[in-house]
Amino acid sequence: MSNCDLCVVRNRAICSSLDAKELEALNAIGRTRTIQPGESLIWEGEDSVLVANVIDGVLKLSTNTEDGREQIVGVVYPSDFIGRPFGGTTGHGATALTEATVCVFSRRDFDAFAREHPALEHKLLERTLGELDRTRRWMLLLGRKSASEKLASFLLEMAERLQPPGCAWNFEDAGPRRITLPFSRQQIADVLGLTIETVSRQFTRFKNERLIDLPSRRDVILLDHEALTAEAG
Amino acid sequence: MGLRMWTYHPELLAVPVPRYTSFPTAAEFDQTVGAEAFVQALEAVTGEVSLYVHIPFCEKICWYCGCNTSVANRTDRVSGYLDALHREIGLVAERLPQVARVTRIAFGGGSPNGIPPVDFVRLVDALTLQFPASRPVLSIELDPRTMGREWAAVIGAVGITRASLGVQTFAPGLQQAIGRVQPAWMIEETTAMLRVAGIDSLNFDLMYGLPGQTMADLEDSLARTAALGADRIALFGYAHVPHLIARQRKIDAHALPDAEQRFAMAARGHALLVEAGYVPIGFDHFARPGDALAQAALSGNLRRNFQGFTEDKAPVLLGLGASSISGFPELLVQNEKNTGRYRMLLSQDRIAANRGIRRSGEDRRRGAVIEALLCRGRAPIPRDLQCEAWPLLLPYFDAALCDSDGEDLVILPQGLPYARSIAARLDPYRKDSLRRFSSAV
Repeated sequence: MSNCDLCVVRNRAICSSLDAKELEALNAIGRTRTIQPGESLIWEGEDSVLVANVIDGVLKLSTNTEDGREQIVGVVYPSDFIGRPFGGTTGHGATALTEATVCVFSRRDFDAFAREHPALEHKLLERTLGELDRTRRWMLLLGRKSASEKLASFLLEMAERLQPPGCAWNFEDAGPRRITLPFSRQQIADVLGLTIETVSRQFTRFKNERLIDLPSRRDVILLDHEALTAEAG
Repeated sequence: MGLRMWTYHPELLAVPVPRYTSFPTAAEFDQTVGAEAFVQALEAVTGEVSLYVHIPFCEKICWYCGCNTSVANRTDRVSGYLDALHREIGLVAERLPQVARVTRIAFGGGSPNGIPPVDFVRLVDALTLQFPASRPVLSIELDPRTMGREWAAVIGAVGITRASLGVQTFAPGLQQAIGRVQPAWMIEETTAMLRVAGIDSLNFDLMYGLPGQTMADLEDSLARTAALGADRIALFGYAHVPHLIARQRKIDAHALPDAEQRFAMAARGHALLVEAGYVPIGFDHFARPGDALAQAALSGNLRRNFQGFTEDKAPVLLGLGASSISGFPELLVQNEKNTGRYRMLLSQDRIAANRGIRRSGEDRRRGAVIEALLCRGRAPIPRDLQCEAWPLLLPYFDAALCDSDGEDLVILPQGLPYARSIAARLDPYRKDSLRRFSSAV
C-alpha cells in the first residue's frame, strides 16, 4: 500500500487529479517527511530546489535577510502546495510550526512529471496562481501599519485558511467561528513583526471589545466578522 | 485634412545615428564599471523603481530580430536560466532599500510567453515577495504564435494590464521572408483573448522596410492594426545588418526597399495613423488619445527608456536577466549578455552587471536635451552647446527641419523623421560616424 492510499488530503491536494498508477509513479519521485516544530524541510544531502505538499500541520515560509534577520513570507496549511521554490539554493526555507507531515519533491522532478501528466500540470498552474494570490495577501498584511490591523488581518486570514475542506463557511450563515491557533503568542509576534506584549495587548483589547473570545491559550472564537474586517483596515 | 508631406534629404540622414534609448548609449559602455558601481547605486535608491525582466527565449527565432534570444527548445536550458533569474531577484532585492517602491514591472524578451506559464507565475511570485512594491503596473511582450488559452488565463489571473504583440506585418509573403509566420486569424484571436484577460493597453509592433514589402503591404497592416483596436503602435524600420546579426543572413537582401522607399514608408505610415486618429509619440510610436502614452505625450511628460517611448516617470530602472540594462541618474549598467556566463555568475551568487558607464553631470545635461528633443520636439539649449551644435545643425535649419525659438531648439513637424539626426548633433560621442548604428530612418 503506498503512502498515497492513506493520505488524508488526497482528495484536495494537487495530486487529486491522478489515478492510482500515476500516484504510484509520483510517490516514487517524492519523499514523505514528518518534521517536528522548529525543524526545517530540506532535501537531505543535496543542493536542490524543492516543492512540497502539506499533508498535516502548519509551516512557515521564510527568508533570511543579509543581516541575518528572518522574514516570514507565508504560512502554509494542510493540502497546500508549496510550489514557490525553496530549499538548497534560494535562501527560502520552510519550517514546521507544529508537528507536520509533507511530501517533498525536487522541483525539477516534479515539473517533469507534471509535463507528462496534463491534468497535474493544470493543477500545478492553478496552485501556483493560488500561491501568488496568497503571497499578495501576505505582503498586504505585512504592509499594514498598526498592530491591530495586522492582528485582525491575520486572524481573518487564518479563519479562512483553516476552514475544513468543502465548507464554504461565512459568518452570516454560521455565526461565531472557533479556530485552534497553530501558533503561540510569540510565533504570532514573530510572524507579524510585533513584540509579544503588543500581540497579547491586542488580543485582550479584541476580547474586551467582543470581537473575539479566548476560551483557551490556543483557541480563538471570532465573534464579530464585520468589526474584525473594519479593524483589519 | 491634408497632411504636410515629409521631404527626403538623403544627405541629412547619411550619418548613422543611435536610437537614444539611453544617453550615453550602450555603445559607450565599457568594463570599467560593473557590479560594484551597480550595488552602490542600488543601495542608495529611495524613490520609485521600475523593473525590467528579460526572458531571452522564443519558440522560434525570427530572422530579422536583433534581440538577445535563443530557442526555448531545451527544458534544462530554460529552467537553468530561470534558476539564475530567481537568484538574481534575491541578490538585487535584498540590496534595494525598503523605502524604494516598485511601481512597474515589465517582462520582455524574447517572448516571455515562450516559457511554461507556471514558471512565469513563480517569477511573479518571487518578485512580489522580494521587492517592496505598491500595486505595480505589469506589462508583457508576447508572441502571438505561443499565445494559448492557458497563457491568456495566466495574464488575467496575474493582473497584467499592458501587452505588446510582435506583429511586424500581416502580409503572408513577408512573414515568410522574415521567418515569422503568424496568420491574421492568430493575431485576431490573440487580441481577443488579451482583451478578455484584462489588457487595457495593447501595443502592436510593426515594421516597414522589410524585404519585398510594398507600400500597399504596409497600408494593409496599418489598417488591420487600427481595425483591431491597438491602443499603441510602434512602427520600426527594419535594420538589415547581417554583419552584426548573423540570423539576418537568411533574409534575401536583394528585395530590400532602398533608403528613399524606406523614408516614404515611414512618412506614409505616420500620415495614415494620424488620419486613423492616433497621436504620434516621438518619432516612431503612436497611441490612441485615451491611452496613458498619448496623455503623457500631450502633457509633456513623455520619457524615453530602453523600451522606447514611455510614460514611466520612475528615475530608476532595474534590469534583471541576461543583457538587461539598469538605469540610475548617475549610472547605466548592463548585465552579462551571454546567458551561459550569466548563469555561471549567478550560480556563484554574484551580481551579473559587468559593463556600463557613469553618467557625468555633462552626460546628464546633454542627455536631458536629447531626451527632450526626441520626446517633446523642443529643448532649451545652453549657450555653450549652441556654439558647438549650431554649425552642425545649419543644414537642418536651412532645410526648415528645425528652428530656434529664444533659447529653445525646436524640431518642426516636417523635421520629425530627422529628429534622431538632429539630436545626434548634441552628442559628443558621435563626433565620427559609426557603422554600428542602423540608418536613422
